[in-house]
Amino acid sequence: MKETKTLPLFSTYELDSRFYDELLKDNNEVREVYKTLYNLFGSYSVSEFDRLNKQAKDSFFNLGITFQVYGDKEVKEKIFPFDLFPRIINNKEWTTIEKGVLQRSKALNLFLWDVYHDQKIIKQGIVPEDLIKSSANFLPEMIGLDPPGGIYNHISGTDLIKHSDGKYYVLEDNIRCPSGVSYVIGNRNAVKHALFGVFNQYNAHTVVDYGSKLLDTMESVKPNGVDAPVCVIITPGVYNSAYYEHSFLAKQMGVVLVEGRDLFVENGFVYMRTIYGPEKVDVIYRRVDDLFIDPLVFKKDSMLGVPGLFSVYQKGNVTLVNAPGTGVADDKAVYTYMPEIIKYYLDEEPILNNVHTYHCSRKDELKYVIENIDKLVVKPVDESGGYGISIGSKLTKEEIETVKKTILAAPRKYIAQPIMSLSTHPTYIDENESFESRHVDLRTFTLLGKDTDFVLKGGLSRVALKKGNLIVNSSQGGGSKDTWVLKK
Amino acid sequence: MLARVANNLFWMGRYIERSEHLARFLNVNYFSSLDAPDELSQSRQFVLRSVMYMSANEIIDADITLEEEAVLFNVGLNLEQPYSIVNTFINAHENARSSRDLISTELFECINRINHSFKGYPIEKFVKSGLYEFTSMVTQSASEVRSKIKGTLLHDEVYAIIMLGVYLERAIQVSRIINSKLSDVAAAKEIYGDVIDGSYQWSTLLKCVSTHDMMRSFYKKTPSRKTTLEFIILNGKCPRSIKSCLYQIYKYICIISKNRQITDDSAAFLIGKMKADFEYKLITDIEDNIEEFIADLIEHLVLIADKLEDNYFNISDAIVKPDVKVATEIKKQTQKQ
Repeated sequence: MKETKTLPLFSTYELDSRFYDELLKDNNEVREVYKTLYNLFGSYSVSEFDRLNKQAKDSFFNLGITFQVYGDKEVKEKIFPFDLFPRIINNKEWTTIEKGVLQRSKALNLFLWDVYHDQKIIKQGIVPEDLIKSSANFLPEMIGLDPPGGIYNHISGTDLIKHSDGKYYVLEDNIRCPSGVSYVIGNRNAVKHALFGVFNQYNAHTVVDYGSKLLDTMESVKPNGVDAPVCVIITPGVYNSAYYEHSFLAKQMGVVLVEGRDLFVENGFVYMRTIYGPEKVDVIYRRVDDLFIDPLVFKKDSMLGVPGLFSVYQKGNVTLVNAPGTGVADDKAVYTYMPEIIKYYLDEEPILNNVHTYHCSRKDELKYVIENIDKLVVKPVDESGGYGISIGSKLTKEEIETVKKTILAAPRKYIAQPIMSLSTHPTYIDENESFESRHVDLRTFTLLGKDTDFVLKGGLSRVALKKGNLIVNSSQGGGSKDTWVLKK
Repeated sequence: MLARVANNLFWMGRYIERSEHLARFLNVNYFSSLDAPDELSQSRQFVLRSVMYMSANEIIDADITLEEEAVLFNVGLNLEQPYSIVNTFINAHENARSSRDLISTELFECINRINHSFKGYPIEKFVKSGLYEFTSMVTQSASEVRSKIKGTLLHDEVYAIIMLGVYLERAIQVSRIINSKLSDVAAAKEIYGDVIDGSYQWSTLLKCVSTHDMMRSFYKKTPSRKTTLEFIILNGKCPRSIKSCLYQIYKYICIISKNRQITDDSAAFLIGKMKADFEYKLITDIEDNIEEFIADLIEHLVLIADKLEDNYFNISDAIVKPDVKVATEIKKQTQKQ
């Protein structure tokens, strides 16, 4: 089939040869996996597609698939911007991604065990001690503690990009509270509803099984001596930006969504306050940060946690998912050592590439970073949501000087990476009523349980909606699209 | 079920019912008054005062002139007024949102969609020409929500808690509407004496509670003071009468309290006692001191609500909006997106 780029919705679609485009090859020919979709979109008029797109967005709003945005005076409910053109990943590419993210999750789990036990990797000089001890997310309270099932990072979100060389690179391993899986399922539903005649032309893997797999994972790490564990999710509350996701997951799993004030500790166990009195809780998927989970041990004046929870955890009477202290391994400086970590614990070569990373706490690398900021992306090691990132090529001379000063004041806090060429993907731009190319990344979701693991066959493709922008986070105005993983 | 969530569900039920009664009272009073049979009942000031009394529980001095658009805005769409219809529904939505893992997707979607449409209703249109449309929308929406509650939830404890809220609030709102109409009738009597038979006010009262057609069908004659009050308070077959509400409240408290010991100061005991008291009550027992009876009734219903919270919800400070400290902590949570 010979394709021509004349379909009305693609009339303004421009290929930028500097980037890998997910839809078009360099010669403007549509890639194999997209051919059916591309031609099917040709059957839509611009106004028809515009109507479907608006309907899909309205459905998100009415369904309450939203996140909270904090203004000075009020909290606003917003939908995660979404467009109906799905991203398609063929089976071969996906197999590599799946193996790669699972490999990283397993290696990170072994790394966490080692960091909080024998610290062999440090003693053998592979990872410097300083790097661990100076991490804001290292919890000395976890030293020597054995989490049930031997798992720390039960849930991992791995951020990947496709570079101009056509290969996937890992940008970040998120193993504290990776968010977004609810949008994966919401996006899929929206696409199925709006484009049912299109979706059934492809043989894509389902994403609806995530809830049951998550529950299986939680139950697999129940405390010793418990037959049928009571699992709950703890949320900071309805005003948290990810509250929709918390309630969605609780509903998917059929477990109770609690807040800190719903729980209390008595005689070494955790209970929730129900209308019929206390009920023991065994496994808690916590979406509350480490330092807020127990005011008796961590942040003394925290209102979100449960006094005494950590002591119950230490006794092995409750499982926390993800384990406290996992954040030490999603520190962006630790990311630098991922190839060595994988090799050390699994004796395997990394399946997925790391982006070359300069660690500012190393003198020679600091020098290089300071001299080449305009060619680099500078990131704080412990921030999330795209905050604190400086893209050198977008900075003015004055801004470069400010970034230099900031780095020199606290080199341990920063890493730098070459500016990666995130692949581009057709994205429907409302104001122009057409598809335009925008940069995308991919977040995958991996579950690790006792003797069990699972990678969701799909993911959250995040889109930088502003032309030329490389930051895709929703908190920075990014959008998302459904991701189809083909069965064969 | 978590005690906090039970509290949210209870209040969700209450706020949905409250929004419907406020809207219907506003709708019926305003539009009935346009062609009312006497000058007082037609008086804009009289109607606006009655609306403020019912909605905001405010008695406005006779020498204060109320501005119609301001009253309509305050009662309908003013986000700054805790008693406004829009705020009442926002509260129902917030309570649903904080327990959405327990309620059906269909129910939450229904409440969420309605909440957006209420909040987005144009103020200018409402105060100038949209009063009928908006208030009708509210009453229809409340019916729709109740239908989702009945049709998409398991009829278990969760359902029983919501319905307890619905029927308790209905009993309170009907009592308050009776109270308000008794006050209107008294004001008319003061001016016109016995020349006025009050049938207009009794018909309005029945319409405010959506019982006019049922009452006409039951008695087959023009509403009088005695038949109206008898029907609306003591008719066990009328789904909106006080007696019927008490039967429902009793039914649902029995589901909730099946595993609990009933002490003589518990909500379950008080409800049972009140239901038993209504079982053999006659209109002749109460018609001579009806104002006192209604005041006492409201007091008892409020006491039952307090007891329910004490007995089942425990967390009495369930916050609708977080205080500054909690809000700051919530913001700090790193939920990567």
